[in-house]
Parts: sequence; C-alpha cells; structure tokens
Amino acid sequence: MSELVWAKMHGAVVHFPVALSLCSAALDAAGFVLGTRPVARELHRGGRFAMVAGTLGSAGAVISGLLMTKGDWLGHGLLRWHHAFAWPAFGLLVGLATWRVLAGAQPARRALGCYLVCAWIAAGLVMATGYWGGELLIRSSGP
Amino acid sequence: MKLRRETAALAAAVLASATALGGAAALAADLRARAARTSHQLPPTDPWWAWPSSPPPAQVARGRTLFLNSCAHCHGIDADGDEGPDLHDLQVSDRYIARTITRGIKGEMPSFAKKHNAADISALIAYLRSLPSG
Repeated sequence: MSELVWAKMHGAVVHFPVALSLCSAALDAAGFVLGTRPVARELHRGGRFAMVAGTLGSAGAVISGLLMTKGDWLGHGLLRWHHAFAWPAFGLLVGLATWRVLAGAQPARRALGCYLVCAWIAAGLVMATGYWGGELLIRSSGP
Repeated sequence: MKLRRETAALAAAVLASATALGGAAALAADLRARAARTSHQLPPTDPWWAWPSSPPPAQVARGRTLFLNSCAHCHGIDADGDEGPDLHDLQVSDRYIARTITRGIKGEMPSFAKKHNAADISALIAYLRSLPSG
C-alpha cells in the first residue's frame, strides 16, 4: 500500500488521542474534585473510557505513522521533535490505560491522585506531539 | 486487598508500556529493513542519539547558488525536474546524495567531484533538504 494511504490514515486517527487524553484527564480531575458525590463516579467512568479509547487511537497513530515513514522512528528536523514527544506519550498512555482497566472502578484516592498527575503529563505530551505534527504539515506544504 | 490490586495493576501497566514500545520498535526495524531491500534508500550514517539541527539559512542560500550554477540546467531552476529528475522530497540519505554528486550516474549524470568540495556538497544537500515536499 502506498505511503499516501498511511499518511491519510495517520491524519485521521491522530485526533483521537489528542482529544480523548485531554478529555479523560479533565473528566477524572472533575471527578476527583467532586469526591464522593454520585456524579463523580460517572465522571470517572467517562474518564476511564476516554483513556482506553484514546490509547487505542494512539496505537493506530503509531502504526500508521511508522508505515507512512517506512519505520523512521526518530527522523530528522521537525520529525525528530514530533517523535521526541510521541514515544513517551505512547508509552505513558498504554501504561495509564492498562492501570485504569486493571485497578478497578474505584481505586484509592491517593492512587487516583498519582494517576491524575500522570494523565495530565500524558495529555501534555500528546498535545506537544500534535503541535510538532502540525508544524511538519504546515512547514512542508508552505511556500 | 485494594492496595494489592493497584500494585499488581501498576506492574501490569509497566509491562504493557514496555511491550507496546518494544513492539513499535520491532515494527519500525522490520519496516526499515524492508525499505532498504526494496529501494535505493541507504540507512542514515548519523548515530541515533545525535540530534540533527536544521541547516543555517546562509548554507541553504549558498547551496541554492551552487545548485543554479551546476544542477539547474538539468534539474530545473526550482529543482522540480527537467532533463534530470525532480529533487523535492528525496527519500535517500545525505550520504547517498553526496555520493551521487561526487561519482555521478553512469550515462545519466556527470561527476562533480572536481568542481565541488565537501563544503559545497554539504551546502547543496542543505538546499535540497530545504525544498518543500509534495
């Protein structure tokens, strides 16, 4: 299959981890602040779903990105910047989603607090990855 | 009990993360090996930890001047191809480009080894890398 197909697929799936990792961190933060109120449980459920869906999206983004660049996992210039954030973000997202699924619906508050810090770091890394991906697109198609 | 479950989940999370990154690295290595077999792409010579920087604009400008003097009459003034091929978005390493300039291509392109030294070739490569893709 041509790299153009993978490039289009990469462009389509990268938005899922960007939106969902941020959404997950925000929902869990809101649930954490609301504590034991009934709505907090629903917010955490939403946060967990968004984290798992975002991580699945990130796997799609990683696979299509590698296929598109013929396995160039570091690259040079802007691509290197993109990858410098992409790999830590991907590793962290997979770890967070796995923990979130296995730790159950109501983990201890302290553990959830640590998770939340990591979730915001992951969201930041994903956004930085997206920023450098956008720079790649804009600068390579610019005048 | 809850703490034990969370600790076990943490161990599984670390394992899953390492597996995912390892799997991605293995996929990347396989794709690079396939690309090397099916095209003229050469593996990069730079060590993976070396952070490549964008070429300085002055070097790109010098490369453009050299390009206009030596290459434009075959590759077009904007390197978009004429008698020679389009040079935008080259999927080959710097080493491959340098070798093509110095050795030429039998029956297709003359050698520029006597006309351009290593600094000239670096400037030419910087200019070619600065060309927009697509």
